[in-house]
Amino acid sequence: MAYVATRGGERAIEQSQRLFKAEMGAITPERVAELRAALPYLIDRVMGEASLYDEDLAALALAQTGGEMYEAALLLRAWRTTQPRLQVAQPVTQDALFTHRRISAAFKDIPGGQVLGPTLDYSHRILATEVLTGDTHTPAPVEPAAKPSPARQPSVAAWQAENGLLDPAVPDQTLGNDIPDVTREPLLFPAKRAHTLQSLARAETGGALALGYAAQRGYGQAHPTVNELRLAEAEIVVEHPRGTRFSAGRVKISQAEVVDKKGAGLRLGFSATMGWNEVKVIAAATLDLNAPGAPKGAPTEEEFFLYHTEGVEASGFCIHFKLPHYVTFQSSLDAMRDAKAKAAAQQAQPAEADATEHPTTEPAQ
Amino acid sequence: MTLASLTRDWEPMAYGFLDASAKREIRRKTLKAISVPGCQMPYASREVPMARGWGTGGLQVSCTLINPTTRIKVIDQGADDSVNAASIRRFLARVSGAPTTTDTLEADLIQSRHRIPEERLREDQVLVLQVPNPEPLRPVQPNMSIARQMHADADYGRMWLQLYEQIVRAGRVMQGASYPSLVNGRFVMTPSPIPRWDVPKLHMAKHLTLLSAGREKRLHAVPPFTKVEPLVFDDVPYKVEEHAHLMCHRSGLKGFFMNEIPQADGTSIHEVSDSDLGVKAIHRTEGAPVEIGATWYENGEMGQ
Repeated sequence: MAYVATRGGERAIEQSQRLFKAEMGAITPERVAELRAALPYLIDRVMGEASLYDEDLAALALAQTGGEMYEAALLLRAWRTTQPRLQVAQPVTQDALFTHRRISAAFKDIPGGQVLGPTLDYSHRILATEVLTGDTHTPAPVEPAAKPSPARQPSVAAWQAENGLLDPAVPDQTLGNDIPDVTREPLLFPAKRAHTLQSLARAETGGALALGYAAQRGYGQAHPTVNELRLAEAEIVVEHPRGTRFSAGRVKISQAEVVDKKGAGLRLGFSATMGWNEVKVIAAATLDLNAPGAPKGAPTEEEFFLYHTEGVEASGFCIHFKLPHYVTFQSSLDAMRDAKAKAAAQQAQPAEADATEHPTTEPAQ
Repeated sequence: MTLASLTRDWEPMAYGFLDASAKREIRRKTLKAISVPGCQMPYASREVPMARGWGTGGLQVSCTLINPTTRIKVIDQGADDSVNAASIRRFLARVSGAPTTTDTLEADLIQSRHRIPEERLREDQVLVLQVPNPEPLRPVQPNMSIARQMHADADYGRMWLQLYEQIVRAGRVMQGASYPSLVNGRFVMTPSPIPRWDVPKLHMAKHLTLLSAGREKRLHAVPPFTKVEPLVFDDVPYKVEEHAHLMCHRSGLKGFFMNEIPQADGTSIHEVSDSDLGVKAIHRTEGAPVEIGATWYENGEMGQ
């Protein structure tokens, strides 16, 4: 009897992939375009978690994985990491954002105005079941406001800083390739500020939500007020080798500032990510707000939440438990059986050893 | 002069998948890791086209070391035909054009998950172990920053305490695989989840072992001829799995680490975990001219 040839494993892999792909059928340019057009928020979420802004690639990743989000993010990250780094864009400031939606829960009205923008917040969550019986659900057209809100607004925090409610943020002057990059260096603790914000920007939405929600429910000390939430487009300004600066296009971004009002002044928690993803930035900003002084091992401690909201790592490790572990299992079984045998041997002759020491207290077995 | 003459042609992928900057970082960290045996070196750990936790750390090291003439062997749980080993082997060959082998003696580079081959490795061979958790202190200190400080202080008291507690509670050390071991008398490392059977193979070995955890972004090394001592008390000796007496039902081999295969009648049979050693033994029995190298264990006893 001989061993089966080692190609057995390779054939099995090949066929299992075919089986997975067979269910989804052909991936066409039309399918990718349709996904991109129909599911912008899903595309945004994947782009944010992949930290790669490219709607076509994100749509392709979703098409290729059948919507398996962790796989889609991994596909994009693996692609991203091989790409050359041509330029680092100029910093984006809040007042320069082309703002679509901007709300503050802290004040009834704010300089620049509350801009509701696109949202389902006040919708009634009712399924449009008529679509399933043959009707088309056509959204009613948007009626533009008589007076358009300004595309660019100052930040709420700027007003608060002006009024002495908040210590104004000190801008970090680091530029270009000197900015620490968490995709090119290991994350160590205490984390560099850039690494923290980058990690939160790349965080898996569900993970950030779970830990952010834990903090909001009371496992964090600070209760957040949404100081300002923005959905916007940011201009990507890069420098030509000749020295001229130009816009290479716009990317959708979300950002949230939450404040804690327990101290002598307001304290800010911040998060921003690529794509529009409000849940993630509010949850992540809550974590950022709660991080200073959090005890070791608390969900609001930086090391805890940055490690555990890393979706590609977390999902990969979780599914790795499917891999065979029979060597480690065998190793543990060996120790367990031996311990059992030792215990049994001891039980078989406990009388002499124990009887001499505790002649009266030994219970009958 | 044109732009085309100044630049290389566009390629969809760098040689060995990782780009030059990623490889350079890994080479530097590898040299550091070799210089301070057993000490965990943080590295960026790029995403690779495989899920985290599936050998991405080992893969990055292999991708960095590989060249078109490197003969590679990939095993998982001792087996070359395990699906994930097959997948990694196929990937490495695809991105490097390197030849592959299942024979330990022929391999230049062996990437492995959870086993060290039974045949002795030579000076010219490199073993890359995939590491799920690089931190031996994790069971006693899950916080990595604190654990790092403990390593710096050689503060390993809690490791000893943990072993002591196991002996008190269960009558023996209950650590299965990943047995914490002192490297070069200084750093406690995890040898990755290899069975206790394999740990002595690292001690004063001729080959270089690189241990890389992709998800946790840490790399450590056991250079050739370096002391690797499992943590034990003077009066409670280190015990490998009691496999010395087991026999492989397929190859007839005896005295090596075995896989236990439960049978419907309630009993178990065993097969040798190092699958290629099993294959070679079978071929030899069938009369084929096969070379089986010297093994670490002889008649179930670890040799010198």
